Amino acid sequence: MRDALLLLGAMAASVAGMGWLALAMDVHWEQVCGETPRSPALVRGLRILGGAALALSLALCLAVDHPSMASLVWVMSLAAGALAVVFTLSWRARWLRVLLAGLPRRAGS
Amino acid sequence: MFQNFRLAMAWLHTWFGLVLGFVLMAVFFFGALSVFDREIDRWAIPESRFEPQPMPSFDKVLRPVFESMQPRPESVATLRGEVNGPIPERFDIVRRWGAYTTHRDPVLNMFAGYEVPNAKDPEKTVWGSRTIDPRNGRSLPDDQLKIGSQFFYPLHYSLNFHWLDLGYWIVGLAALIMLVALVTGVIMHRKIFREFFTFRPAKHIQRSTLDLHNLTGVLALPFHFFFAFTGLVIFAGLYFPVAHSQLEPLHELHEKLEAEETGLPEDRAGVPAPLASVDAMVAEAQRRWAAQGMSGDVGFLAVQHVGDANGYVSIYRAGTDRIALTSNGIHFKASTGEVLREDPPPSAVDRVAEFLTGLHLQHFRHWLLRWLYVLGGLTGCVCIATGLIFFVEKRKRQHARQGSQGARVADALAVTTITGMLLAALGMMIANRLLPQAMPAGWPGRGDLEEYVFWASWLLAMAHAFWRSPPVAQGRLSPAWGEQCWAVCALSVAAVLLNWITTGDHLLRTVAEGYWPVAGVDLFLLASAALAATAARRLARVARAVPAMQPGGKPEAAHA
Repeated sequence: MRDALLLLGAMAASVAGMGWLALAMDVHWEQVCGETPRSPALVRGLRILGGAALALSLALCLAVDHPSMASLVWVMSLAAGALAVVFTLSWRARWLRVLLAGLPRRAGS
Repeated sequence: MFQNFRLAMAWLHTWFGLVLGFVLMAVFFFGALSVFDREIDRWAIPESRFEPQPMPSFDKVLRPVFESMQPRPESVATLRGEVNGPIPERFDIVRRWGAYTTHRDPVLNMFAGYEVPNAKDPEKTVWGSRTIDPRNGRSLPDDQLKIGSQFFYPLHYSLNFHWLDLGYWIVGLAALIMLVALVTGVIMHRKIFREFFTFRPAKHIQRSTLDLHNLTGVLALPFHFFFAFTGLVIFAGLYFPVAHSQLEPLHELHEKLEAEETGLPEDRAGVPAPLASVDAMVAEAQRRWAAQGMSGDVGFLAVQHVGDANGYVSIYRAGTDRIALTSNGIHFKASTGEVLREDPPPSAVDRVAEFLTGLHLQHFRHWLLRWLYVLGGLTGCVCIATGLIFFVEKRKRQHARQGSQGARVADALAVTTITGMLLAALGMMIANRLLPQAMPAGWPGRGDLEEYVFWASWLLAMAHAFWRSPPVAQGRLSPAWGEQCWAVCALSVAAVLLNWITTGDHLLRTVAEGYWPVAGVDLFLLASAALAATAARRLARVARAVPAMQPGGKPEAAHA
């Protein structure tokens, strides 16, 4: 049970990490937030947050399995996370706003 | 210069990808199914629908079965011309008995290798095999095909085409081309990072197909690369058979040195000896594993030089919690049960080799990673399929103007490999549920017939694809795509219903009982049906929107 929850956490961290990295890109930011402007600091922050989430995902994988297995689970979770973000951006882009909740923004909602 | 290099790479990617894409599609798809090969076996053989079992008692269950075994007639048939004198009726000198199981196997696979008296090559071995219910030692009928592990799985590395090992070579070439296609694809793709997350389904078909091709290729690049590469590593011994050709003397020497180093006899002594209790040896092996803090399920058990004073028993731990298939082998003297050797921890090189083969063959216990592998495999299928479709989409209007048939042929072949392949697999599963338990005398075996239905369904799908292809030559969509999608939908639902009717295992029951091997296959079939129906409806919408073109002329009004 503990392992299952940790792996679920690892998958969630991969999806969120990929989501933040996508939001750091102008074209995807526009898909999600429209014309809302953002500061360069926020872009940097999103990149750091994305990288940190992917690192957290790796740490969670390592907590569950032998490193040889954990490395495979992590690499595959990155692919799955990225695919999830791609298809959300194409059909339900606004759902990614959930990743911006609580983040300081210069302007906008 | 750079522009030329990039164009050269594009040429390589396009044409090699087209030719071997048809093979790669089957390799990736049946490879993805092989992740759950044992579960597909359960679906196909209702008698084996029970919980996975540990390795049973050797002394009580396995030994009587091994002693009753003889080589398969097909294996004996390979001896024609290989023996001085007549081919023996019975084989009594056992080179090796073996039994292999994983944490997903309810039934146990056993095999035996026999020495051939008077063989021209003294190393010549004939093989027998048996599948038993480990709870009682009863054998399962021989003509039941394990569709997952005996058909889909070998299909993905040999195409089940064994003449001159040609299937292995074609797949090996395809894997090599896959690596080339990945490298050239990365070189051609100008905006890997800028379009990392980009898929524009609303844009025109060429654009969205290329988006999907790029993103499935790039996002799962590590998976594609490692699976193509490790697949080649696993069969390296077949592709580069240096050990038994150029380096034969070195190989012999290596075997001798290895026998000296391990103390495990290479040959029979020629002195008969009894077999001590193997169960006691298993208990000792498990005691030693437990002392090192490792779980103690037996994965592989083998008896070498059976009935001889040089005989020994090797017991390997199941690699359930590691990437390696089996590990921590311990070897016992067969006649006394004394420990001859405990394998030392693997060297760094061995570890890398075990990791590379183990990550592909995946006998570990990790359901999340299994599903992620399926996702990776299906992503590969989407990448290859969109590559083929893009090839056609890019050319068909131009070919229509020139009156060329090139795009039409490529499109019909794409239909055959993509939807036709699904129809072949589904046809086989339906045949599996419809054929009688025992075939009447004079008929081929049940398993053989299932294989014939598979290939016949595929041929039929191909005929349909070519028959319905003329609109492609006018720059339009082939109706075969949509029609075969509907066929996939219908056959998937039919397979689930037939499983219910013939075995009584409907989804409500299998899900309620938590018997996921069968429930999972049924749910996967229903999901495929839903996806196929969605695809068919979208295709119909696209077909209405595309006007026909005449050779040399302008588009004419759409008929529909």
